Amino acid sequence: MLELRLVQGSLLKKVLESVKDLVNDANFDCSATGFSLQAMDSSHVALVALLLRSEGFEHYRCDRNLSMGMNLNNMSKMLKCAGNDDIITIKADDGSDTVTFMFESPTQDKIADFEMKLMDIDSEHLGIPEAEYHAIVRMPSAEFARICKDLSSIGDTVVISVTKEGVKFSTRGDIGTANIVCRQNTTVDKPEEATIVEMNEPVSLTFALRYMNSFTKATPLSNTVTISLSSELPVVVEYKIAEMGYIRFYLAPKIEEDEDETKPQA
Amino acid sequence: MGIKGLTKLLADNAPKAMREQKFETYFGRKIAIDASMSIYQFLIVVGRSGTEMLTNEAGEVTSHLQGMFSRTIRLLEAGMKPVYVFDGKPPDLKKQELAKRFTQRGLMLLRIWKKPKRHAGDKEAIEKFSKRTVKVTKQHNDDCKRLLRLMGVPVIEAPSEAEAQCAALCKSGQVYAVASEDMDSLTFGAPRFLRHLMDPSSRKVPVMEFEIAKILEELNLTMDQFIDLCILSGCDYCDSIRGIGGMTALKLIRQHGSIENILENINKERFQIPDDWPYQEARRLFKEPLVCTDEEQLEIKWTAPDEEGLVTFLVNENGFNSDRVTKAIEKIKAAKNKSTQGRLESFFKPVPNTSAPIKRKGSKCVLRSPRPATGNKMLSLQACGSRPKETPENAARGNANKKSKAGGGRKRK
Repeated sequence: MLELRLVQGSLLKKVLESVKDLVNDANFDCSATGFSLQAMDSSHVALVALLLRSEGFEHYRCDRNLSMGMNLNNMSKMLKCAGNDDIITIKADDGSDTVTFMFESPTQDKIADFEMKLMDIDSEHLGIPEAEYHAIVRMPSAEFARICKDLSSIGDTVVISVTKEGVKFSTRGDIGTANIVCRQNTTVDKPEEATIVEMNEPVSLTFALRYMNSFTKATPLSNTVTISLSSELPVVVEYKIAEMGYIRFYLAPKIEEDEDETKPQA
Repeated sequence: MGIKGLTKLLADNAPKAMREQKFETYFGRKIAIDASMSIYQFLIVVGRSGTEMLTNEAGEVTSHLQGMFSRTIRLLEAGMKPVYVFDGKPPDLKKQELAKRFTQRGLMLLRIWKKPKRHAGDKEAIEKFSKRTVKVTKQHNDDCKRLLRLMGVPVIEAPSEAEAQCAALCKSGQVYAVASEDMDSLTFGAPRFLRHLMDPSSRKVPVMEFEIAKILEELNLTMDQFIDLCILSGCDYCDSIRGIGGMTALKLIRQHGSIENILENINKERFQIPDDWPYQEARRLFKEPLVCTDEEQLEIKWTAPDEEGLVTFLVNENGFNSDRVTKAIEKIKAAKNKSTQGRLESFFKPVPNTSAPIKRKGSKCVLRSPRPATGNKMLSLQACGSRPKETPENAARGNANKKSKAGGGRKRK
């Protein structure tokens, strides 16, 4: 038996919009801690990790650890039927083949039930170790989205380098090159407009812009985005979801040619 | 070819060992490909209708080049790193088997030639026969090797069987998986084996991935027993015992443990064991095949394509459309760039997931084959449950299940 009541239903709608282009099918895991999802894109280059903590729900009942396989496109279709102010309740019975989304309008005069078929998904769960990152950049999420969009009109990849001066995003394409530098800036009126660069070591990594652009679909979830970089780890692009948890995107960097050429692959 | 009925046997008895994967999943992976098998496929499929083949001006067949060129580009574009392995000298035992196939081919050709009128109306039969008369010659192999080298794709010449060499590469971790259509690869012990990787994208067949460790676990056999099972089912090296197919072989192996014990205990009246049955030799060929393991000598390197060489070879010598070849070369170069993208698995390791699926597991129908009894029971319980709703694909699975069980399933409209 599973029953999760989320007053801020629009949140779930936004979450779905941010992941459905990256991942087609995924298992949602439910436990006493919360409602979570971990899934990779089909080429196993990017990973999305979502956590909505149980405390964030108005009512949270989950008797045992469960996983529900869903087609995210279909789920998004259903959630689009919910109004932005609606309260969303997710319900599933043990051993059931379906999950029910219930949408209640704030005035309680309209209640809609949407039942969606579940599916079996064979997915690998990856263990993500807690790591110390060489550099952590926090900046306005809209700014980051703008940078990714702008750069992808010039090139396919972005080099993100963090130095004492700030963070630099650069690309190169057939028509030319582009460099965008964001300096540390904490003297702003609102804290969410600040750009904060914490750096232990300078770091420079290359990523595919296609994925970065897809991550920025989560921009409506949070005013700020945190980008954590280490030279031997995938980048983490994190959007905090207020009082609930987070959505994190991991992206494997591009590697220099020849380096892995001779190494046998396990 | 390969092991008789092994796919079905595995689908029935070790369904968890096979997984459907998306083509893109193999992004960044090094894959050893059994070249001869692919060339054979190309000769059959690419640009052929009846006995007519795709040829160049000189009338030489170019289907294999066309196929090899476009499919390899497809692999490269998906970020894969293919290594093609060519057959060397076949082992003596296989030669006998090959000789048999050769005679069959000859007979079929004769049949078509002798009575063209009788076969004239029977298009399907001609199609079938001409498929079987296709033979991969040394010329085909050499053409493909030259093409691949020009494309910057590594080529390995196996001392003997290509499948065995592929398996050895995979065992030593030099490649991630082996791609072939020949189930032999599993018998040679390839840890990870892919089918349908080289199928045309238009067919939209998902790649089928087999893991030998899981197969052994599911069948509850040791590798030696699995090899014996394959020999009993019927392999390329020797005849099998009449009346023993995959299922019986599995039963016998489980009961007696090895071919020797089976031979001692089997009812000799019922099953006729061939007089001169070289099963020990076949077993040796599977266990210790002639392969090259010297990493230096193998030299698996992906290099930039030789543009001029490709144009000379394909356009000037084999009449390919020059625009298409130029475009294809651009694709190879672009793909080269793509292969530098890392995979998440090289940073994070898989861990077991602790939560149980809310929906019943084990109802996934691979190859639309009948399911083991327990799976059905679970499904029929489900079907009688409170919420008899199914997705279209589940419905299809359910139907496949229903066929296999004697009643029990509730029909829904």
